[in-house]
Amino acid sequence: MRFLIVDDSSTMRRIIINTLNKLGYKEFHEAGNGREGVDKLATTAVDMVITDWNMPEMSGIDFIKAVRANEATKALPVLMVTTNAAEDDIKEALRAGVNNYVVKPFTPDTIKDKIQAALKA
Amino acid sequence: MTIPDELLTDLMTSTEEVFETMVFKPLVRVPAPDTESTGKGANVVASVAFAGHRRGLVSIHSSLDAAKAIAGAMLGIAVEDLNGEVPDAMGEVANMVAGTFRNKLAAVEPASAIAVPTVTMGSDFATTYLSAVSRARCPFELEGQPIAVELILTGEGHGRRRERTN
Repeated sequence: MRFLIVDDSSTMRRIIINTLNKLGYKEFHEAGNGREGVDKLATTAVDMVITDWNMPEMSGIDFIKAVRANEATKALPVLMVTTNAAEDDIKEALRAGVNNYVVKPFTPDTIKDKIQAALKA
Repeated sequence: MTIPDELLTDLMTSTEEVFETMVFKPLVRVPAPDTESTGKGANVVASVAFAGHRRGLVSIHSSLDAAKAIAGAMLGIAVEDLNGEVPDAMGEVANMVAGTFRNKLAAVEPASAIAVPTVTMGSDFATTYLSAVSRARCPFELEGQPIAVELILTGEGHGRRRERTN
């Protein structure tokens, strides 16, 4: 399974990759913000997107809207990993098109459960 | 104006949750010093501003050695193998602490928005603020090294939490 991880923090991208590695996943692509994520998806096939919310240049919400607006990527499962956990945040993310939502700080079990839930959605 | 204890409790709990879950190193609460600290002696200060219902700043102050220990633990690599990862790692810690703190407040009052982190590293600097702000510093130890989390509130952001009724 191939992942695109979109986060402006290289630390968080590394933590997510380490977590996915422990869960048995081996293929990852990275982008530093939503704009880079859109560009990466234009050239790279992936099976799931994991994205942050608060990023410079293009936020995670705008990135998800761009993913959903593109015929080639609109069906991709998208998991949002963010510190934004207020009720209104989650509603906004769902409206934008996320399949599931992980609140930082997180455990590997949480990531595992949410990936499985996003794939079933 | 003094920052209400309940806000500091939320901040300390948020900090402990982040360290336990993402840094894999427990923090130990230690007594606050008798005199107000300016942060002099800290080598790394990672800050996240927030605005909206409340306005202010959450900052993590640590020594460079403590920051390296945090970065290494988060990334799963030995401290001696670190190669420039400390600022981003400390920024992410501040982001998660501020975000968790903001979420606790958002459960009982309108949510504030948080900004992207900024990180300052150096060997001889101190932090000062305008007299109109309220500051509180929550000291911890991480494997014997001092770490502090600071909350700064400005303008109308000083009040007690409201309990949401619906």
